[in-house]
Amino acid sequence: MERGGIEEKLGEKELRQSVDEVSNLALDIGGSLIKIVYFSSNSGSSVDDQVHGSSNGNSNHSVLSGRLHFEKFETRKIDDWIGYLSSKQLRQYGAQCNQAPASDKNIIKATGGGAFKFADLLKEKLGIILDKEDEMDCLVTGANFLLKAVHNEAFTYVDGQKEYVQIDQKDLYPYLLVNIGSGVSMIKVDSDSKFERVSGTSVGGGTFLGLGKLLTKCKSFDDLLELSHQGNNRAIDMLVGDIYGGMDYSKIGLTSTAIASSFGKAISKEKELEDYRPEDMARSLLRMISNNIGQIAYLNALRFGLKRIFFGGFFIRGHAYTMDTISVAVNFWSKGEAKAMFLRHEGFLGALGAFMSYEKNNPADDASHQFVKQFPNSSYCIEDRIQSSDSTNASDNSCIECRLQVAK
Amino acid sequence: MASITDDHQENFGIDGNINNCDEKAKLNSDTQRDTGTVVERGGGGEEKDMAPLAGSSIHRSSSRPQLDLSGAAIQGTFEERDPTILLPNQSDDISHLALDIGGSLIKLVYFSRREDQSINDRRKKTIKARLGISNGNRRSYPILGGRLHFVKFETIKIKECLDFIYSKQLHRGGMDSRRWQSKGPSTENTVIKATGGGAYKFSDLFKERLGISIEKEDEMNCLVAGANFLLKAIRHEAFTHMEGQKEFVQIDQNDLFPYLLVNIGSGVSMIKVDGDGKFQRVSGTNVGGGTYWGLGKLLTKCKSFDELLELSQRGDNRTIDMLVGDIYGGMDYSKIGLSASTIASSFGKAISENKELNDYRPEDISLSLLRMISYNIGQISYLNALRFGLKRIFFGGFFIRGHAYTMDTISFAVHFWSKGEAQAMFLRHEGFLGALGAFMSNEKHGLDDLMVHQLVERFPMGAPYMGGNIHGPPLGDLNEKISWMEKFLQKGTEITAPVPMAPPGTTGLGGFEVPSSKGDTLRSDASELNVGVLHLVPSLEVFPLLADPKTYEPNTIDLSDRSELQYWFTVLSEHLSDLVDKAVASEGGTDDAKRRGDAFARAFSAHLARLMEEPAAYGKLGLANLLELREECLREFHFIDAYRSIKQRENEASLAVLPDLLKELDCMTEETRLLTLIEGVLAANIFDWGSRACVELYHKGTIIEIYRMSRNKMQRPWRVDDFDIFKERMFGSGDKKPQPHKRALLFVDNSGADIVLGMLPLARELLRRGTEVVLVANSLPALNDVTAMEVPDIVAEAAKHCDILRGAAEAGGLLVDAMINIQDCSKESSSSVPLMVVENGCGSPCIDLRQVSSELAAAAKDADLVILEGMGRALHTNFNAQFKCDALKLAMVKNQRLAEKLIKGNIYDCVCRFEPAS
Repeated sequence: MERGGIEEKLGEKELRQSVDEVSNLALDIGGSLIKIVYFSSNSGSSVDDQVHGSSNGNSNHSVLSGRLHFEKFETRKIDDWIGYLSSKQLRQYGAQCNQAPASDKNIIKATGGGAFKFADLLKEKLGIILDKEDEMDCLVTGANFLLKAVHNEAFTYVDGQKEYVQIDQKDLYPYLLVNIGSGVSMIKVDSDSKFERVSGTSVGGGTFLGLGKLLTKCKSFDDLLELSHQGNNRAIDMLVGDIYGGMDYSKIGLTSTAIASSFGKAISKEKELEDYRPEDMARSLLRMISNNIGQIAYLNALRFGLKRIFFGGFFIRGHAYTMDTISVAVNFWSKGEAKAMFLRHEGFLGALGAFMSYEKNNPADDASHQFVKQFPNSSYCIEDRIQSSDSTNASDNSCIECRLQVAK
Repeated sequence: MASITDDHQENFGIDGNINNCDEKAKLNSDTQRDTGTVVERGGGGEEKDMAPLAGSSIHRSSSRPQLDLSGAAIQGTFEERDPTILLPNQSDDISHLALDIGGSLIKLVYFSRREDQSINDRRKKTIKARLGISNGNRRSYPILGGRLHFVKFETIKIKECLDFIYSKQLHRGGMDSRRWQSKGPSTENTVIKATGGGAYKFSDLFKERLGISIEKEDEMNCLVAGANFLLKAIRHEAFTHMEGQKEFVQIDQNDLFPYLLVNIGSGVSMIKVDGDGKFQRVSGTNVGGGTYWGLGKLLTKCKSFDELLELSQRGDNRTIDMLVGDIYGGMDYSKIGLSASTIASSFGKAISENKELNDYRPEDISLSLLRMISYNIGQISYLNALRFGLKRIFFGGFFIRGHAYTMDTISFAVHFWSKGEAQAMFLRHEGFLGALGAFMSNEKHGLDDLMVHQLVERFPMGAPYMGGNIHGPPLGDLNEKISWMEKFLQKGTEITAPVPMAPPGTTGLGGFEVPSSKGDTLRSDASELNVGVLHLVPSLEVFPLLADPKTYEPNTIDLSDRSELQYWFTVLSEHLSDLVDKAVASEGGTDDAKRRGDAFARAFSAHLARLMEEPAAYGKLGLANLLELREECLREFHFIDAYRSIKQRENEASLAVLPDLLKELDCMTEETRLLTLIEGVLAANIFDWGSRACVELYHKGTIIEIYRMSRNKMQRPWRVDDFDIFKERMFGSGDKKPQPHKRALLFVDNSGADIVLGMLPLARELLRRGTEVVLVANSLPALNDVTAMEVPDIVAEAAKHCDILRGAAEAGGLLVDAMINIQDCSKESSSSVPLMVVENGCGSPCIDLRQVSSELAAAAKDADLVILEGMGRALHTNFNAQFKCDALKLAMVKNQRLAEKLIKGNIYDCVCRFEPAS
């Protein structure tokens, strides 16, 4: 399902990309998924730098228009992504520079635990040397970039309604960034460069898929999510009403439909695993994990007085019910005072951050053409008018049409 | 011997009633083993233990010695203190029972009352007069003494619970109610407090079967009330559990609030507690015990919660959890403080494509699940504690059930997330919070006023427990108890541990429907804590002369040291057969006595085995507790005074040589005499049946021979020798003549030479110097220790040969023939300073000065000298105790190991430690 979707879209772009110039490819190799971000300029579409460059007085830069591409693979399917990387005209990865020493050509930015784990493999198979970027750095850089640069990046999700939130860039910090990968990291972000991992939990996306696989025999994350759509957690969760004979325990603010104990009904003697619908179990599991993350995130936001909580990472992947549960959890525990917000490019924070680090680590600007180095800097972001190719549909691997400011 | 009054006989009469009731209990419990799964934590046999033995002249009790009512009066006379009045006489609607009916377990807390009858023995009466105690005109309600019992039943076997309640007549206010209330309350109106989800569900059943109405109490209220009571009333209720190490935490009652109470049932509630009745549920999580058991059942096919827990102990979660090292190729992600072994994603490895559920070990799944849930609860708890600035987090609820690994993971999570600043704490009575709270919700019993020092926890033998299983129905009476013991004896099976906490087949989760489990498997979890019977003894008080009661620790030897425990375990085991011989002989050597003797040996061995396995099973363990446990165990099997005849024989032999000794002493100068007297005390302290070395001595010579030998060996300086300082305090130096002490409390030790040739002459010397003397002796027999009942007879006999003693004894009201004159004008008529005898409130060779009789506490009021004598009271306990007044600690060390450890000396070395008032 997941793979199918990606391949389909790849197919559509195949033609164009083949002629596109692929550059600045960056990787985020997580425990479950590997995320890839790269830029492709439209061939021959170098825009007259006067149009865009002059307005900011940056006469020695030109702007390339092109696309930011987002791809993901399951980490364990090594052959798939190695093959994909290999197909992407390896020579052109990385800090493209004719003058640069040959060895630099094959250096690409990478983050995530897998950047360490797979370093040797990539070198051996593709001759790629991974330049490891810190995971948290990348996450934060990616999130900061998206929140500042991309219009309608953040949104709330309540009762099935998605609502975009305009973030005043001057009032962005501090915020709590919750990245839900296999595990969950919670990061307090204070400024462009200042942040701290304040908490986390081991109950994350990996738990959902891992437990879900054991319980339902589902083969993929997306299958499991799909299942959960059709499920009813009441069959498995013990609700407050189950304990109190259908009555609310209103004294402590629990309605009869509140979950008292996730999987609490599964202790029934008569039933075994086979007697439960996989759909119900998937639903129950999803609610348990989403709710838990929402709660811990809220408690951490409260602890540091953070008014905004952004949820990202591949666990969410635009799944309405997941977002709904997280939102409900935050709303419930904060008594309506805090709202969960989501990012359209939630899964690619790390990869984006790694991508952004190309210019950061390459200050010798006479040498190469640079990705708009002021990207995270608000004054330029607006001018750069980065747009999503599809501003209404937050499909997670949509391209972002953008222009790349390049040094002459 | 003090005579037993009619009151006592009447008391025994109650026991008769109890026995009758037990016939019914027996009917219920006649169902063969395993079908009756209730194990009453000791409560079952308890009342019956009091069943009288014909002709016994000593008031016996399996509990803390019964103390008379003078306590009430004493408290009344202290204006500065609120009199502790626990139960108004007129309350005839008292509920003795409260229930917490969860989905899987019914927890029952009930109270059996022990009315402490005032014993009108004349000694006490004169003591009262002497010490200025009077009942006065203040409200004189009887103080409620009694016991709180904790019992569990499986909810699906609710019938057993109903039978149990019926057999004990708990729905009528307990079996003792008939005595308390001339006209019993009409059952129709009886209201029982209950909490838990099932309180509604089963209310009709209770009405129908027992005719009682269930009054539902709010669950949170109950949890908090229960926790508050336990934390305030029980000294070692709370403990930390890190890396398998259990450590009891003493909580200052005045500094208890606020705290976070985390109750882990099927779901988890987190409650901020600000005071009695002041609390708020601030958070919770739906990932709790039900999640563990529910998911665990689905994934492992375990049949019971216990089975699932058991599995986890053999698991390795690394096969299922994704660790930081798995992501980072074995490296730590040290930048953010995550080690390679940190779990990055619970069940994160289960995403592997090649493996299915059947490819994973159930053990690993269970462990992974347990860690996930425990960590999560720990984390959310910590975040909530942080949010409200709460320094303490207590975890309770049946999810924990004393399971070491669960406690460790929760502790680890709290420690990890708080960076070591917060600590998770657990409660020994964790499963009973709700039931206890429901019990407390009845305001009329006034238990909430109880103080720590008024509670004593006992661990009587429950149903036999072996191979991880409990065998048999609840034990109705002593006979049943013995029968069970014998059954195992015949089978040749070892009873590995006594007094299990849970009946077999319980799942340990409250709040929801639970399937019945197999019914005969209960894991033998070494870490499981035992809950004893709480004895409420309102007349106990803190010894007022302790310099700092808060920091006072009675035990000198800490048995948490494994080798130390092993040593004393061996000592006690070796001594056991000798003790059984004595005990059986003391009861006439009858077949019945032999049976009881065997049962006692079995039971005590089982206790020892249990404690070796888990030293903290009964709370914090010190040597004093161990020695007391032995005495309790003897009493449990109705060995009231195993050394009775030996004590008599030795008293007689010693009294025969006393006149000569006194003559000898009177020929000396004052200073020589003092030294001789102290030497005498130390030498006579050799007679100790608790010491293996001394028992061997007994076989070699007569008591007087041993005494002489011991005297001759006395050579100063002793190993600890403060005699010169003591002498200076007594006689002064140069011209300065110090004031003699006003009143001295002499804590006496053994019978025979020890009291007669050692302490009594010393007492005589003090009296001669114008110091009032109070001989403080045990309330109940322990080894060959002299008891408060026996001392007056000894004094009376000694007084025949000594005017000083006679005058003082008369003044102290100890001489029966002088009573008529003394009674009304004791104070005025005494030209001599009085010699008095008080009981200490103990039935152990050691003494915990936090819990002494009110009589002793009153006597201490004017005392300015404390003399502790003997190993038990001056070395095993109180060696390091500091007093507000002068203190002299005298003992001969009759144990090589102790000598090395304590004074770096050898066996038979002596300790004479004098510490001026601090």
